Amino acid sequence: MSDHVPPDVDFGRVWSGVAGRVWSPPTSAVERAMARLLGSSAFARVIVTTPSLVVSWLLASVVVLVVGIVVTAQTGEPWIAVLAPVLAGIGIAFAYGPGVDPAWELSRSMATSERAVLLSRVVAVFAVNALLGLLASIIVGDALTLTLQWLVPMAMLSALGLAAASASGSAPVGAAAVVLGWALIVLGGSVSLGGMAAVQDARLMPFYSALAVLLACVALALPNRKATGW
Amino acid sequence: MVTNTTPSVAARGLTQRIGRTTILNGIDLQISGGVVGLLGPNGAGKTTLLRTLATVLSPASGELQLLGHDPRRSSERTAIRRRLGYLPQHLGYYPGFTVFEFVEYFALLKEMPADEVRPAVARAIERVGLADRAKSKLKTLSGGMLRRVGIAQAIVNDPDLLLLDEPTAGLDPEQRVLFRALLRDAGQHATVIISTHLIEDVAAACTAMALLDGGRIVFRGTPDELSQLGDGGIGDSALERGYTRVLTGARG
Amino acid sequence: MDDHDLLTAIAGGDDLALRTLFERHAGWLAARLRAHLPAHAVEDVLQETFLAVWRGAGTYRGAGQVGGWMWGIAARQAALWARKHSRPLPDLDLHMTDDMAAQSALRIDLQRAFARLNTDHGDLARMVLIEDRSTADAAQRMGIPEGTVKSRMHRIRRLLRAALEGGSS
Repeated sequence: MSDHVPPDVDFGRVWSGVAGRVWSPPTSAVERAMARLLGSSAFARVIVTTPSLVVSWLLASVVVLVVGIVVTAQTGEPWIAVLAPVLAGIGIAFAYGPGVDPAWELSRSMATSERAVLLSRVVAVFAVNALLGLLASIIVGDALTLTLQWLVPMAMLSALGLAAASASGSAPVGAAAVVLGWALIVLGGSVSLGGMAAVQDARLMPFYSALAVLLACVALALPNRKATGW
Repeated sequence: MVTNTTPSVAARGLTQRIGRTTILNGIDLQISGGVVGLLGPNGAGKTTLLRTLATVLSPASGELQLLGHDPRRSSERTAIRRRLGYLPQHLGYYPGFTVFEFVEYFALLKEMPADEVRPAVARAIERVGLADRAKSKLKTLSGGMLRRVGIAQAIVNDPDLLLLDEPTAGLDPEQRVLFRALLRDAGQHATVIISTHLIEDVAAACTAMALLDGGRIVFRGTPDELSQLGDGGIGDSALERGYTRVLTGARG
Repeated sequence: MDDHDLLTAIAGGDDLALRTLFERHAGWLAARLRAHLPAHAVEDVLQETFLAVWRGAGTYRGAGQVGGWMWGIAARQAALWARKHSRPLPDLDLHMTDDMAAQSALRIDLQRAFARLNTDHGDLARMVLIEDRSTADAAQRMGIPEGTVKSRMHRIRRLLRAALEGGSS
């Protein structure tokens, strides 16, 4: 029976391994699945920590859509087609960027670039909101064509949220731009074409698509606010 | 990997502009290991130089090689960033994250191998003396502790090039002593560049230093060499006198 | 804080208490393990042992010394490691006492008690008690129903206890 502490056992390494598991919360099933799917723990963590994808935010979105479902059932107007796009736009304004990320400077020195982080979060927020909206549409019984159609203004408002938040360096400003812009469009459509024409009239879709592409280019081409970056 | 022949930093004629103002005016700098202090008055360009070395800013003109790679090329920039540690002057933090979660987040973004992340994060947290606050939320920590969290994320990936901007801000004297020990330890296997306005930091921990003024390097050498230039200068220590003498000389 | 207090603290989520326990016990645990396992295996087993302590501190019932309880965990983790790496089982003492003489006497008694079990019982005892397999796992391996395994284990434990209490003869 040996009494001597073995010199070839690295106790520091052992404790680091223990502490690493004791100090960290277990990764959620969602994150683990995403890491396997994407082949990257970094992107999985980045998506799971998106401010506009936390549980409270998702619950709020669900509440808004439930209200939309109720109002649609009562008035017969396509409220889901109005609400889903604006939820996505606001969510994307709050997904990433200097207005949202307090450690923005540090993030810009990371191997996973802030562009990559932004892109993955934008895609995730868009996908989640599209899915929630689709579910709401199914519950309400909207025609499939109408449902697929509102993905176009959703893309446009997402691009607007991204461009406005990037240009101003502020997520609330981006969200405000989305809400105001969409309110103007919906009201304008209601005044000039009647009812919820802004979301129902298929002739408007190419216009929205063009605007989405333009705003996305603006967002990506914007120089960084503080100084020229990459 | 930092070898004996590859300098960690090789800059020639490096200039940097913010808007229309020239902040860095032709920096020539070669650094191959050790702990290098960047001293200089406010507005001298220390932070801008560090940000450029951290690949946060692209040089306006001039040549720059970091760890043997060209940061202007995207794939090489990523390779540099994996081996980099950076502590900005104003870090910012996510209030709802715990100390562990914060350091782990940046360890992941530095693309450390997944199974190495957790033990490395634990080790970094212990090296900065925050083992008893590992599970505490950042919003409950003092300024000095937050600074140490920042240092932890900078060292978590055992970087070859460690860039620290005013790292001792907010640390009390005892913590500063511990920090200097950490610096010396880090300087054994990596190049450490610290930007500071505290002369005693440089005196205690740095093996070499550069003095910046008006976007140019006006002195390059060891702290001892700067002290020896101190005759007739103003200051409480030889190093301080050397500092003021060189600055007046550069501006005169 | 004595070891009992440390375990209570650990059960309440105090990771600093775990650190203290580690500083106190990792050394001798490693020494005992190192007699049977290579250094890197000792590191892995130690890590799993203390993680098991972290998770299971609440199950410690205060019977016997904390060190003995921890050694039991370490021995089980060592057996698991051996199984995972397809190595032969290390010949570890399952019971720890401070008295070296009592220790070796106990080891002899245990070996004798095991030897007295017939082949079937001996195989089953090894599977469940040393290799830490579940009764379901053992049942599958032996090709008998789990209920049979459970009643046999009951009998085996009685036999072993009787053999140990009978003392060295």
